[in-house]
Amino acid sequence: MSVVTAVTCPVCGCLCDDIELTIHDNKVVKVKNGCAMCEAKFMGYSSEHRLLKPMIRKNGELVKVSITEAVKKAANILAEANYPVLYGWSNTSCEAISVGIELAEEVGGVIDNTSVVCHGPSLLSIQEVGIPSCTLGQVRHRADLIIYWGSNPWSSHPRHIERYTAFSHGRFKKSAWKNYVTKIKALVGRKKVQSAIKRLFVKEKIPSAVALSNFRHTPYLQTGKNSRKLIVVDVRRTKSAEIADYFVQIEPNKDYELLQALRALVRDQELEVDNVAGVPVEYLEEIVDAMVSCDFGALFFGLGLTMSGGKMRNIDAALSLVRDLNMRTKFVIMPMRGHFNVAGANTVFTWQTGYPYAVDFSLGYPRYNPGETSVVDILLRKESDAALIVASDPISNFPRKAAEHLTENPLIAIDPHMNVTAQVADVVIPSAFAGIEAAGTAYRMDHVPIPLKKVVEPPKGVLPDETILQRILAEVKKLKQANVREEA
Amino acid sequence: MIVNLYPLKTFKLPIIAECINPDMLKGKTLDDMRRLELWEGNKRRTLGELFKIEISNPASSSENVTIIVNGDVSRVKRIGAGMKSGEIIIKGNAGMHLGAEMHGGKITVYGNALSWAGSMMKGGAIEIHGDAGDYLGAPYRGSKEGMRGGKIVVSGNVGNEAGAYMHKGVIKIYGNAGQFTGFRMRGGTIYVQGSCGGRAGTCMVDGAVIVVGALESAPPTFTFEGVKNKARIDENEAVEASFYLFVGDLTENGVGKLYVARDRNPHLSNYEKLL
Repeated sequence: MSVVTAVTCPVCGCLCDDIELTIHDNKVVKVKNGCAMCEAKFMGYSSEHRLLKPMIRKNGELVKVSITEAVKKAANILAEANYPVLYGWSNTSCEAISVGIELAEEVGGVIDNTSVVCHGPSLLSIQEVGIPSCTLGQVRHRADLIIYWGSNPWSSHPRHIERYTAFSHGRFKKSAWKNYVTKIKALVGRKKVQSAIKRLFVKEKIPSAVALSNFRHTPYLQTGKNSRKLIVVDVRRTKSAEIADYFVQIEPNKDYELLQALRALVRDQELEVDNVAGVPVEYLEEIVDAMVSCDFGALFFGLGLTMSGGKMRNIDAALSLVRDLNMRTKFVIMPMRGHFNVAGANTVFTWQTGYPYAVDFSLGYPRYNPGETSVVDILLRKESDAALIVASDPISNFPRKAAEHLTENPLIAIDPHMNVTAQVADVVIPSAFAGIEAAGTAYRMDHVPIPLKKVVEPPKGVLPDETILQRILAEVKKLKQANVREEA
Repeated sequence: MIVNLYPLKTFKLPIIAECINPDMLKGKTLDDMRRLELWEGNKRRTLGELFKIEISNPASSSENVTIIVNGDVSRVKRIGAGMKSGEIIIKGNAGMHLGAEMHGGKITVYGNALSWAGSMMKGGAIEIHGDAGDYLGAPYRGSKEGMRGGKIVVSGNVGNEAGAYMHKGVIKIYGNAGQFTGFRMRGGTIYVQGSCGGRAGTCMVDGAVIVVGALESAPPTFTFEGVKNKARIDENEAVEASFYLFVGDLTENGVGKLYVARDRNPHLSNYEKLL
């Protein structure tokens, strides 16, 4: 039995690098420091759904074949295709992504990563407005105001609050954890009193949705003078909202209006309306006061902002708000990235092609125009004629028509698991888990590269994504050269 | 000279055909035209491989070229991109980037057009008898160079962000428009006869958006300037009706005008108390 320390967790964009694993007989038996998602991945990666042998569909059935045969078949499909798509990439290492981009160029296809269904709109707006950002270390040590907008880190990035924001103990800012514990006790007491009152005097009048008192309801308002303030903006009272000093519950799909109203207030403009997105302007003025009077503010936004009505323009407004706030104080903004290496996928794509996602190599050079060259739109228009999916499961989460088109054409899946995409694929190649069975590099949500460790050996015959892709690339090059010779 | 193009098959792959442009066909023989290059997916093809080409009226001036596309070309992108003169008539649906960056001439579509029609247009006219997609007259990703001149008329509906970053010119939409119509506009006029999605004119600095139908909601960052009885589309044309006039966007210190018809928007009547 051995203990491996400082392991990077390959689950979410936080990339916590303080995990301790106990290994026994080439298996992880104990996980220390990780959140529930981290533990679930390290303990459950080797489940019964694990793929161990390459397969090819013959007469409608997936048949086990050798890795050489599977690689040849995959290379054939890609080399013959007129408009293949190569999708996934956010759950593998940067080294594999790099080979993937070379493969896309070689076959003249469209390469896209999962940003297209998560933070793609953020990237489009960043290109238009720019992004004032920093590393998470800066936030941990200096930020005294944290905003989570359309994001519930308590559930989606469980250690984000603890490691980098409200509950982290920074060099210059103290953790709000003790205040939180005190407040949680007060809340429990208060709830007990409320339920007792309800039992005695039934039918309490429910306050109207836009009444100011409804927004001041939060029991945590005004924590200690030196501690950090936390603002949560969401359509529902999430677990993260429960710990916030200010919670702004907005009407769904009205984020843009609220952001614009905040921008106007930051610029000392007067609004002619009483409430925006269901929030009284008076309460917004309080929030703007908190924003303007902080020393270092950080706005984190999630898919609640990027994928609700307005999409990229919501981010446009959020980035502009932070730009306006920087005229009054120091403020930064950062997207809450989901997959552990989606920031890495964007970074590697940008190094090699100039664009962060949705890159089309069909004309021989990289072109980028999401909406035209993004995979979901290509599939919805039924334009592609083959697909390679690496470390992703689009069949289970793409729009139904897009998923249907994927199944209508030759489909290659490279994945450690027998997921839905692998089940309907024509070629299935098992791969090693990046960050557990294969080493590599991944980028944290603040674009800091962090090494992934290999802690156990992969099952016999199972190769890392990078090696599989290199073999497919070599095979495609051979086929192309043979074609050139034939034509000559 | 009239050049008739007939698609030889139903296109499945995306085609990039910058050669379907009167300037490119000017002074060319039928054989030259057949040899013009275009892209089908990741393969190079020639115009003759994908279209049957017929030249009618060759005796007329070869300087004045009219291209008539007979059939559905919704997969064919960049038709008439950058054209300076001549005419294109499409009897079917047109693909993306129709007339992108065009300087002059005319394009008529007797069908629908997909996104980025008239993108970054500088002059000329586009007439779409069906619907248009998103980003009508708007620039491509990352660019702030919107429409700088010319006229786009759409008889049907349009998608989101019509006329985004527009500097000059006129867009007339007789159907409904989507969200963010006239986003970050700096000049020019957008006229919407049908209903208009929310966020019209947000972040605009100058120019005018005229909504004759229902507007989902007025942006909170505009100031109410009163009721007007006339809204001007261009020097020669004006709409006479009772309009609420909003000026903004406050967040960009803008003086853009948003005219919203009074009779179709009773939900905005609460602004009248500010008069």
